[in-house]
Amino acid sequence: MQTIIYILPELFLSLTIMFLLMAGVFIKKSFKLVNLCTIASLAFAIVLVLNQADEITKIFNDSYIIDRLSIYMKILTLLFCIFVLLSSKDYLKINKIDKMEYPIIVLASTLGMIIMISSYDLIVFYLGLELQSLCLYILASFKRNEDRSTEAGLKYFVLSALASGLLLYGCSLIYGFTGSTNFEIISNKLDPSNTGAVFGIVFIIVGLAFKISAVPFHMWTPDVYEGSPTSVTSFFALVPKIAALTVFIRFMYVPFVNVFNQWQTIVIFISIASMILGAVAAIGQNNIKRLMAYSSIGHMGYALAGLATGTNSGIQSTIIYLIIYLVMNLGAFGCIFMMKRENTFFENINDLSGLSKNHPILSLSFLIILFSLAGIPPLAGFFAKFYIFMSVIESGMYTLAIIGLVTTVVSAFYYLRIIKIIYFDKPKKPFEQSYDWGLKVSMILSSILILIYFMYPSILIDIVSSVVIY
Amino acid sequence: MSEIGLGHYLTLAAIIFTIGITGIFLNRKNVIIILMSIELILLAVNINLVSFSIYLQNLVGQVFAMFILTVAAAEAAVGLAIIVIYYKNKGSIDVERISSLKG
Amino acid sequence: MEYGIVFLPLVASIVSGFFGKKIGVKSCQILTCSFVSISAILSLIIFYQVIVSGYTSNKLIFNWIGSGNFYVNWSISIDTLTSVMLVVVSLISSIIHFYSIGYMSHDPHKPRFMAYLSLFTFAMFTLITADNFLQLYFGWEGVGLCSYFLIGFWYKKPAANAAAIKAFIVNRVGDFGFAIGIFLIFLFYGTVNYNEVFQQTPQLVQKEVIFFGIEFSLITLICLLLFIGAMGKSAQILLHTWLPDAMEGPTPVSALIHAATMVTAGVFLVVKCSPLFEYSQTALNVVTTVGMLTAFFAATVALVQNDIKRIIAYSTCSQLGYMFFAAGVGAYNVAIFHLFTHAFFKALLFLGSGCVIHSFNEEQDVRFMGGVWKKLPYTYALMVIGTLALTGFPFLSGYYSKDAIIEFAYLRGSTFGYCAAAVGIFTALLTAVYSWRLIFKTFHGKYNNKDNNLSSIHESPLIMLLPSLLLAIGAIFTGILFKEMFIGNNSTQFWNNSILFLHIFQHGHPPTWLLILTPLLVIIAIPFSYYLFVKNEKILKNFILKNQLLYNFLLNKWYFDELYNFIFVRTFKKVGLFFWRKGDINTIDRYGPDGLSRIVKTISDKAVNFQSGYLYHYAFVMLIGFSILLTYLILY
Repeated sequence: MQTIIYILPELFLSLTIMFLLMAGVFIKKSFKLVNLCTIASLAFAIVLVLNQADEITKIFNDSYIIDRLSIYMKILTLLFCIFVLLSSKDYLKINKIDKMEYPIIVLASTLGMIIMISSYDLIVFYLGLELQSLCLYILASFKRNEDRSTEAGLKYFVLSALASGLLLYGCSLIYGFTGSTNFEIISNKLDPSNTGAVFGIVFIIVGLAFKISAVPFHMWTPDVYEGSPTSVTSFFALVPKIAALTVFIRFMYVPFVNVFNQWQTIVIFISIASMILGAVAAIGQNNIKRLMAYSSIGHMGYALAGLATGTNSGIQSTIIYLIIYLVMNLGAFGCIFMMKRENTFFENINDLSGLSKNHPILSLSFLIILFSLAGIPPLAGFFAKFYIFMSVIESGMYTLAIIGLVTTVVSAFYYLRIIKIIYFDKPKKPFEQSYDWGLKVSMILSSILILIYFMYPSILIDIVSSVVIY
Repeated sequence: MSEIGLGHYLTLAAIIFTIGITGIFLNRKNVIIILMSIELILLAVNINLVSFSIYLQNLVGQVFAMFILTVAAAEAAVGLAIIVIYYKNKGSIDVERISSLKG
Repeated sequence: MEYGIVFLPLVASIVSGFFGKKIGVKSCQILTCSFVSISAILSLIIFYQVIVSGYTSNKLIFNWIGSGNFYVNWSISIDTLTSVMLVVVSLISSIIHFYSIGYMSHDPHKPRFMAYLSLFTFAMFTLITADNFLQLYFGWEGVGLCSYFLIGFWYKKPAANAAAIKAFIVNRVGDFGFAIGIFLIFLFYGTVNYNEVFQQTPQLVQKEVIFFGIEFSLITLICLLLFIGAMGKSAQILLHTWLPDAMEGPTPVSALIHAATMVTAGVFLVVKCSPLFEYSQTALNVVTTVGMLTAFFAATVALVQNDIKRIIAYSTCSQLGYMFFAAGVGAYNVAIFHLFTHAFFKALLFLGSGCVIHSFNEEQDVRFMGGVWKKLPYTYALMVIGTLALTGFPFLSGYYSKDAIIEFAYLRGSTFGYCAAAVGIFTALLTAVYSWRLIFKTFHGKYNNKDNNLSSIHESPLIMLLPSLLLAIGAIFTGILFKEMFIGNNSTQFWNNSILFLHIFQHGHPPTWLLILTPLLVIIAIPFSYYLFVKNEKILKNFILKNQLLYNFLLNKWYFDELYNFIFVRTFKKVGLFFWRKGDINTIDRYGPDGLSRIVKTISDKAVNFQSGYLYHYAFVMLIGFSILLTYLILY
C-alpha cells in the first residue's frame, strides 16, 4: 500500500476521468461543468505532483520511476494542458464541439502522457503511449461532421498505428534479445554486439520520432495540424511533445545508453533532416496551422540536436528548448485563436494582412512570438537556440551547428513574412474584440515571458540543471 | 526435417509483419484493409513476444502479448469509429480519395 | 547635479519624441524648454563653482565595456574646460529652444523638432563630459546624427535632403580619421581614458611608426588623425563643403549646431588633447596652417555670397579657422575664449537673420532685401550688435578674443606665428567688409523685394526677439567680463590643468602698432563698406566686370564643390555603378541571395509536392526513412 502514494496524481486523474464520465452522462449540457472540473483536477494534480518526494523512487518492480525529470515534465504537461483548455473554450463553443467528452478525452490522453513520462518498463511505456494515442485519434477527428477533421483523424490513426506497430516490433526484439522489459536491465544487457537488440533500437527510434514528428516520420503532422479543429491542433503542438521528448530522452539515456555510438548518428540524421525540412517546406504555406506544423517539425529538429550530444548539458539545453518552445507556441496559438470574425475562425496567413492597424496589441504579441520563434535576440527563442548550439559546439559537432544556423536563417524568412503581412499589408476588416479571458491570459503571459526571459535566464537554467540523467 | 525452433517463429512473425506493412502502403482501395494490416502487424509482434517468452522461460512476454491484444481491440474500435464517421461525411472510404489535405 | 545636466535633455527628447502627439505641442515645448533651461542653470552653478573653488569631478554612470584590461566607462567628468563648454552649449541651447517656439510656429512637426534639439543637446553633453575617447566618439557621432536629422528636417525639400546627406558623408571622412586615431591610441596605450593616455604620452614621444610606408612619430600621427576628425566636424578647408549647404536646415538649427556648438567640437577636441598636441610641433604647425587657410578662404568667399545664411556660414568657417590657428600656436585658452564669445555673437547673427528671413517670408537672398531698417528697428539693432562683435569693434566681445588671437600668434615668435598674425589681420579686414556688406545690403539702400510689399514687412514676435536680446547682451559683455579670467596673466590657475601648456608665452607686450592696427582697420571698414555697397555701387560693378574671373572664382567658392564632384563623386559613382551592376546584381545577387533563395524555393516546392495527401505515400516515406536508418546501422 505504501507505493500507492507515489502514483497519487495518476490515480487521482483516472478516478476523475471515470467520475466525470458518469457525471457528464447524467447531467445535461454539462460541458461547462466538466470543463471546469477538468481544469481544476489538472491543477490539483499539479499540486499532487509537486508534493512528491524529491528523490529517485522506483516502484512496481522497478517499472515506474519518479525522479526530477519526470516531476518537471509532468508539471509541464499538466500546466500546458490547463492553458490549452483555457484558451480553447471559446473556439469549442463557436464550432459547436463543446461536448463534455472533449475535456475528458483530453484528460485521458494527459493521463497517458504522464504514465509515459514516468514509465521505466516497456509494457508501462506502451500502455501509456497507447492511452494517449487513442485519445489523440479521437481528438483529431472530434469535429465529426467535417471532412477535414475526420480525414485528419483517419490519417493520424493509420500512420500512428503503423508507427506503434514498428515500435512494438522493436520492443519485442529488445525483449527477446535482452530477456527483460525493464529499462535498467535492458541497459545492462544491451551492447553493440547484440545485433538483434540494436535492430530493435531502430524500430523504437522510428516510433518515438513519429511521436515528436521528426523527419522522415513527420508526414502526418501538416495534414493533422491543418485538418483538426484549432483547439486540438494547439493541444497536438504542445502537450504530447513534452511526453514524447521525455520518453525519447529516457530511452536514449537509460536503456540505450551503451549503444550511444549507434543511435547518435541516427538522431543527428533525424535532427538535420527535421531542421532542413521545417525551414524549407514552411515557406510556401498559406495556412497558418500548416505553417505551425512545419515550424514545430523544425523546432523538434533543434531539440533533437541537443539530445544528440550525449552530454548532460545537451539534455538540459534540449529541455530548456522544449520549455521555451512550449511557451512560444502557446502564445502563437493564442494569437491564432484570436483570428475570429462573426463566429468564424480564420486560418489563412493573408487574413492577417494589416492586422496592426486594427489590433495593435495583438499584432505586437504576434510580433514578439514570431521574432522569438525565428530566434532573434534578445527574445527567449534566441536563448533556446543559443543553448542548443552551445552544447552542440562543445561536443565538437560543428556540421550540425552550422546546418542548424543556416536553417535558422532560412526559417526566419517565413516568420518575418507573416510580420510583414501583419504590419505592412493593406488592412482587412477588423476581427472581433471580445475575447475570452483565459485566452488573453495565456497569450499575454507567453508574450511577456518571452520578452523578459533575457533578464533572468538563470532561473530556468538553475531549475533544469538539476535534471541529471546519468 | 528439423525441429521447429525459435528461428522459425521469428521468421514467421517477420513475414507477417512485412505483409502487414506492405498492406498499408500497397493497398489503394479500402481503408478496412489497412485496419486489417495493422492487426497483422500487432499479431506478428505477439508471435514474436510469445515465442521469445517461451524461449527465455520468462512470462513477461506473454503478459505483454495480453496487453497488446487488449490495446489492439481498443485501437480497432477507435479506428472503425473514425472510418464510420469519415464514410458518413464523404460517402466513400477509398484510400485514393483521402487527399483533401495536402501541400 | 551633473546627472541632471546630462540627462534632462535626454528625458525631454524621449518624451516629446515618442509621446509628442499624445501630450500635445504646447506641453512638448514647455517640457523641452524648461528641462534644457534647468540644465543650463545647473551648468551655470557648476561654472560658478569652478571659478570660485576650482571644482573638478568625475561621476560614473556605469561601466560600459569591460573586456580583458580594456575598461571604458560612461561617465561625467567635469573640469574647467568642460564647464566652459557646458555653459556655452546649455545656454545657447536653451535660448534657441525658446526661439524655436516662435520660429517654427507654422511648422506641423514641432514636437519632432524640439525632440531633435534636445537630443542634440544631450549628445553634445556626452561629448563634452566624456572621460575617454570612446564616449567622446559616441557623442561625436550623436551630434553628427542629430545634425543630419535637423538639416534634413524639412525632408520634403530635396535640397535639404541632399545637404543632410552631404553633411553626413563629409563628416564620415573626418570621423574615419578620428576613429583610426582612437584605434592607434588603444593600440599603443592600451587604454582610451584621457588621464591614462595623457600620463603615458611623455614616454612615447620618441616612438616611431610606419604608416602607408612613411615613418611618422607616433604622437604626430595620432594628432593628425584626430585633427582630421576635428576638420570634418569644424568644417575646415577641404572638409568644409558641407557647412554652407547645411544652411538648408531651419535657422535655429544653424544657430545652435552650425555656429555655436557642434562645429566647435573640433576646437574642443584639439584643446582637450592639448597634452598630445603639445608634444608634436609638426601637428601644431599643420593645425595652424589649416586654420589660417580656412580663415582666409572662407572670408574671401563670404565677400561675394548672396544668401544671407551662407554669408554667416562662411563667416563661421572663417572664425573656426581663427580658433584653430590660435590652438595651433599653442594659445589654447585664447581659442576657447574665442569659441566662447563667438558662440554668442554668431548665434545672435543667425537668430537675427532668422528674424529677417521670417519678416521677408522665407526670402534669403540679400539682393532682394534692403531699406527696411526703419521697419525692423529691433532686428536691425540686434544684427548691428552681432556684426560689431563679430568684426571686433573695440570693447565688444569679438574685439577681445580675436585681437588676442592675433597678438598671441605674433607673440609666439615663430614663422608660423607671424604668418598667422598677418593672415589674421588681413582676414579681420575682410570680415569687417563682408559683415557690413550683409548689414547694408539687408537693411539699407533701396527696397528690392517684389514678392512682398514694404508695408507687409513686420517685426518678429517677442518670443524670437527676447532670446536674441539675451544673446546680444552676451555678445557685448562676455569679452570684458571674462577676458582676465580666460586669457589674463593668471589664467593658468583658472584652467587648472585641464589644458597643458608646454611652451609658456613670454608675457611681453606686443608692439603698439599691432594693438591699434586691427581695430583701426575694422573701424575704417565701416564707412568704406557703406560707400561701396550703398552710396556708390557702380565702382563695385565696374570692379566685378573687370575682374570677372576672380569674382566667379569667389562666387563659386574656389570651385571646391566642382573639384570634389569631378574627382570623387563622379569617379565613385562610376565605380559604384560598376560594382552595383556587374558585381552585385550580376554576380553576388545572382549566385548569392537570389540564387540561394531560388534554390530554397525550389526545394520548398519539392518538399511541398512530397506532401501529396495520400496515405500510402506517407507510409511509404516512413518506411523509406526507416530502411535508410536500418541500412546505415547494418553497414556501420
